[in-house]
Amino acid sequence: MSNETTYNYKVVRQFAIMTVVWGIVGMTVGVLIAAQMAWPALNFDIPWLTFGRLRPLHTNAVVFAFGGSALFATSYYVVQRTCHVRLISDKLAAFTFWGWTLVILLAAISLPLGITTSKEYAELEWPIDLLITVVWVVYAIVFFGTIFKRRVKHIYVANWFFGSMILTIAMLHLVNSAEVPVSLFKSYSAYSGVQDAMIQWWYGHNAVGFFLTAGFLGIMYYFIPKQAERPVYSYRLSVVHFWALAFTYIWAGPHHLHYTALPDWTQSTGMVFSLILLAPSWGGMINGIMTLSGAWEKLRSDPILKFLIVSVSFYGMSTFEGPMMSIKTVNALSHYTDWTIGHVHSGALGWVALVSIGAMYHLIPRLFGVEMYSKKLIETHFWVATIGIVLYITSMWISGIMQGLMWRAINTDGTLTYSFVESVQAMHPFYIVRFMGGAIFLGGMFIMAYNVYKTVSAGKAIQAPIPEPAAAH
Amino acid sequence: MLSHIFGLFINPKQEWQKIHDSECSVTRCYLSYVLILAAIPPVSGYFGTTMFGWQLGARDAVKLSSESALVIAIAYYLIMLVGVFTMGLMIQRMGQAYGAEQPLARTVTLAAYTATPLFLVGVFELVPILWLNFLAGLPALGYSVVLLYTGLPIMMGISEEKGFLFSSAVLAVGLVTLVCMMVATAILWGYGFAPQFVD
Repeated sequence: MSNETTYNYKVVRQFAIMTVVWGIVGMTVGVLIAAQMAWPALNFDIPWLTFGRLRPLHTNAVVFAFGGSALFATSYYVVQRTCHVRLISDKLAAFTFWGWTLVILLAAISLPLGITTSKEYAELEWPIDLLITVVWVVYAIVFFGTIFKRRVKHIYVANWFFGSMILTIAMLHLVNSAEVPVSLFKSYSAYSGVQDAMIQWWYGHNAVGFFLTAGFLGIMYYFIPKQAERPVYSYRLSVVHFWALAFTYIWAGPHHLHYTALPDWTQSTGMVFSLILLAPSWGGMINGIMTLSGAWEKLRSDPILKFLIVSVSFYGMSTFEGPMMSIKTVNALSHYTDWTIGHVHSGALGWVALVSIGAMYHLIPRLFGVEMYSKKLIETHFWVATIGIVLYITSMWISGIMQGLMWRAINTDGTLTYSFVESVQAMHPFYIVRFMGGAIFLGGMFIMAYNVYKTVSAGKAIQAPIPEPAAAH
Repeated sequence: MLSHIFGLFINPKQEWQKIHDSECSVTRCYLSYVLILAAIPPVSGYFGTTMFGWQLGARDAVKLSSESALVIAIAYYLIMLVGVFTMGLMIQRMGQAYGAEQPLARTVTLAAYTATPLFLVGVFELVPILWLNFLAGLPALGYSVVLLYTGLPIMMGISEEKGFLFSSAVLAVGLVTLVCMMVATAILWGYGFAPQFVD
């Protein structure tokens, strides 16, 4: 079949497989550093195995390698299928795959060597930043170019979410990574002091808001209706909460800087917008859950739907928890404690990872023209992943609140009740449980890898013909 | 009423059916079951914190003064009583959305019996070692979830498929409630309602 009558599945296949691979890599590093928290000797006194260098490797690998690959795979798939056209350029699409892979490899080399800008979630040094910019611009050209070439008039809501992700990440990356190079491996931020901190968290929180939320809502809006074989519960709600989310998220960053040198009114603005954010977030959750509710008769027997509904539930829970933690009084206790780590992972494991995994189980068999090798293993993966998350989150909740209370406990004469090291010691059992939770979740990823491997070896790379768009209705 | 406890651990499905058939009113359900079982965690907690004390890290245990522990125990008890009732109310309200209208008495009973493992595990609060309570609490929480999924279709009179979705929704409400409690603790503690320790 000629190129113009088929979809470009090749790049989707590449990113889909790498989602599983990078998931395992990133989570393995996570489990290693979780183990180091419980047993510090595990860094073996080797500089590039220390927590400080591996932690950015973990975050970059899970957010940009695992999450990024999932976003590339699904956005390329969704934009083609909902626009009824092939990607505008196979060459440019291939460039984004190899370019993104190169970025990840460079991160995996430079971060353990200690080459870092020290900006959270933007640690990569300036040459890699430039490469990211080029790849991202090409990604935008391929994605929006395909939308311009579409054969259906309407732009499906999932594409709006993907599109806002691409645009906003471009803006965030350019502003936050403005830096002055002093050598090939070292640069300094263009901003200083509290402005630098504010830019950093404007970027950091919107990386969560647009990369890890808007992008994955795009996944939700395509794959939940597809897997449930039901239309979106309320299309109007999806459009309304899209705009509300895009408008509100961008203001929430200052809640990362409560009680710092940042002006108080800025902190309060961040808190208020974070609280408002609950409404659009829950708009998305309600839409996802109600769409799935229409397929209740399939829920018990379809493990992919289970992944999707639990992911949306965790989305609801963590987007409730987030605004609560942005309240200054709560933040005074929760900030810098493990409660934050637990919150991040209920979003990252519970929402982002589960919805990606569900989407991959839907996607991979369709890309290779076969059924998944084992439905039973998907079911096993679901339970293993859920148990892992529960252990992770509950241990961090308790450890975090305990930390917060111990740090602020004072004696009647005004002296601190506990020394810092005593709080570290008290956390030890919870760090072991957290390590176990993470290891169990990683175990689930290995089950997935085996299942995907068997599926892919049984199938073959298919050429999917582009169907004629349905007549206007 | 208390006789159901054993059955819920041995043969939950059959026991839920018995509970369903026994038709207990809200008042009776509370008087004979919730009031007794919900007292286990606060009473254990009271004696645990005043007699043995919190053990954090390697230092000596810190004990609460008995007045402070009493206030906390009473508040704890009330929160659980209100919590069970609220969950029952939520289940009844949500039941309307799922086409499962049931009297409040039945949904409150469902909430009360679902919480049984959590009430029972409260006995561990006699020994206020945080990680021990955590490790004991996890299986209890897990079994409560099992009870919810097995009991809900029976008590609400809906199919297991629909019950699965409904139970998941109840679980999500429970999670949000849990987060609310954490936040309330943080706020109250921050505004000076912290417990009084004995030096």
